[in-house]
Amino acid sequence: MRVLVLFSHPVETSFGAALHERVLIALKKAGHEVDDCDLYAEGFDPRLTREERLGYHDLETNQANVKGYVDRVLAADALVIVTPVWNFGHPAILKGFFDRVFLPGVSFKMKNGKVAPSLHNIRKLAVVTTYGGTRLRAFLVGDPPRKIATRVLRAVIKPAAPVKYHALYDMNRVTEDQRKAFMDKVGTSLEAF
Amino acid sequence: MRVLVVYCHPCAESFNAAVKETVLSTLEGAGHEIRLIDLYAKEFDPAMSAEERRGYHEPDSNVQPVAEHVDAINWCEMIVFVYPTWWFGLPAMLKGWFDRVWVPHVTFEMPTERSGMKPKMQHIKKIAVVTTCGATWLVSKYVGEPGRRTILRGMRALCATNCRTLYLAHYKMDSSTPESRSRYLAKIRHRLGKF
Repeated sequence: MRVLVLFSHPVETSFGAALHERVLIALKKAGHEVDDCDLYAEGFDPRLTREERLGYHDLETNQANVKGYVDRVLAADALVIVTPVWNFGHPAILKGFFDRVFLPGVSFKMKNGKVAPSLHNIRKLAVVTTYGGTRLRAFLVGDPPRKIATRVLRAVIKPAAPVKYHALYDMNRVTEDQRKAFMDKVGTSLEAF
Repeated sequence: MRVLVVYCHPCAESFNAAVKETVLSTLEGAGHEIRLIDLYAKEFDPAMSAEERRGYHEPDSNVQPVAEHVDAINWCEMIVFVYPTWWFGLPAMLKGWFDRVWVPHVTFEMPTERSGMKPKMQHIKKIAVVTTCGATWLVSKYVGEPGRRTILRGMRALCATNCRTLYLAHYKMDSSTPESRSRYLAKIRHRLGKF
């Protein structure tokens, strides 16, 4: 399969960057064709502009500023997101990818004022993520980033497509062993992706 | 009260701009002292840089890139957020404002082996969210309102223990009418006025 990897972490020595590397290796080992989209390295600007907002629903022109990203999303058969959770949400650079690239005509269509999801080329989704907060706190907050994956993105991609959510919580206090175990789990899972 | 209004929409002619004006006039009418941060007008950069991320845990120096914003959140006793809900969440611009401005040592102390995260924004006693959603109320509820929860549960945990919250939303924006919009503005005046 052709897999688009969306990665968002600014620091190359971070645990997030190590997870990203592991994901790339696992996917390639499994024989997938990987399109690695490192949002920070590519200098993605997450701000939906005034011009983009005004032309948001114009299917002829709304992709113009982000055509390259739209093409990569539409060319993919599967999506893997590697990101930290900051403040119980995705980092701005990743949130902005949804704001600017998941446009009408790309990930959904408007039919009589109603949204019809249409990113049906994506047949599998996996998220690899880390939280500063504990699992209990995330649960009490309602775990917004998990819901974005398991409810919003799940609804946008091909119906009934499998969704895997790998999360390591309480990052500031986990031990080296726990990090390693998570890394291995992610590697094993994505080798079988 | 000292009220910080954080506004996030790229278009001056948008309905969200009218919402912001209504919020400001309502707060003024109630006699509050107001500061406004208009993130798009300020051309705020929401992506936390590698340098900031590396220095994230350094007391004092971690506030330098966003000093005026940190000053504003230390000043206020109440925050009102005005933004459109996009993909069930905060616009990247607003999400990045939390990422970059609500730094450790100012807004919370990191958890240690013996104790959990310690909130430090107890001077904030009220948070209001005034937003617009493309989705219906039912779909928003089903999805779990990630944007609402990021602010009113996630960020609220850093504020006063008994911090009060208010959430106002105009749903189904794509089929809104002049009447529904004006009803919403009236609702804002009423509910925020009492808050």
